[in-house]
Amino acid sequence: MESNKVEQLLEAYFEGATTLAQEKQLRTYFTSDDVAPHLESYRDLFTAFAFASKETYDQPIHLPKQKKPMLRWISGVAAAALLVIGIITQMNNQPPIETNTYVGTLPQEEGILKTKQALGLMGKMFSESTAQLGAVNEYNKTTSNFFKQ
Amino acid sequence: MDQTAFIHLVNPFKDKIYRVAKRLLISEDEAKDATQEILLRLWTRRSQMKQYRSVEAFAMTMTKNYCYDSLKAKRNNNLRIVHSNYEDHSRNTGRQIEASNEVEWVYKLMKKLPEQQQLILQLRDVEQFDNSEIAAMLEMNETAVRVALSRARKTIREALIKKQNYGIQ
Repeated sequence: MESNKVEQLLEAYFEGATTLAQEKQLRTYFTSDDVAPHLESYRDLFTAFAFASKETYDQPIHLPKQKKPMLRWISGVAAAALLVIGIITQMNNQPPIETNTYVGTLPQEEGILKTKQALGLMGKMFSESTAQLGAVNEYNKTTSNFFKQ
Repeated sequence: MDQTAFIHLVNPFKDKIYRVAKRLLISEDEAKDATQEILLRLWTRRSQMKQYRSVEAFAMTMTKNYCYDSLKAKRNNNLRIVHSNYEDHSRNTGRQIEASNEVEWVYKLMKKLPEQQQLILQLRDVEQFDNSEIAAMLEMNETAVRVALSRARKTIREALIKKQNYGIQ
């Protein structure tokens, strides 16, 4: 770039009237090897800017771990999975009602007979056990002698 | 937005945050802490990010505010001022050789500018944002940005010319 054009650009630059593109031209000129001797003193300025723009932040970025949303998400899924597993096992364990009853396999009358037998047996056992409660009545009689109401 | 997406989003301008912080704050360590803190603040506000036209510009505004606050806090803290004066002194005597480095010298000139001018010069001449973007970031109008920019550049030019004349005379 001709030095008188550079001078013009510099003048505009110090007035804040250059565009970004023109400033780029200035930076390129002043960081090159052939700078006109009388403009030498501006070399440092543009070199400094060029240098400064190359600095980088090389530290790792530390961010707080996203624990809460993750945990909530996992626990939600876990709860849902447990629920599903629970329902499935429950359904599998439940004895199929129809296959285990006699009604399905034996003739109806025989079923009724068996039921009658079972009920009769139960009634017998009931009456046997209540008979033994007579002893308790004796006890009531004796105690009434002491505790008068 | 998850962490990977966030890092992907901030990657193009995390260097800019660091460089601007380094220009305004005293030390590299402070600038690193500031960058980390600003990224963290962006992360906590990631849900609001869609509201901003440019996340980068929003990050720059945050950087400006953070650095101004941190500088103000330092000025209000007398103990720190005494301490940093002491540090500066040792730096001036101890780093004569480094100060001869021309580029370092320009940075020192920039440090002497008012904060706002430092910031505008950095955003324009180093980060290459245009004046309207800078105006939005710094909540100023464009004319004020242009005037401050011109002042900053002229102050530096005076120092450069003075230095040159000093070498000749």
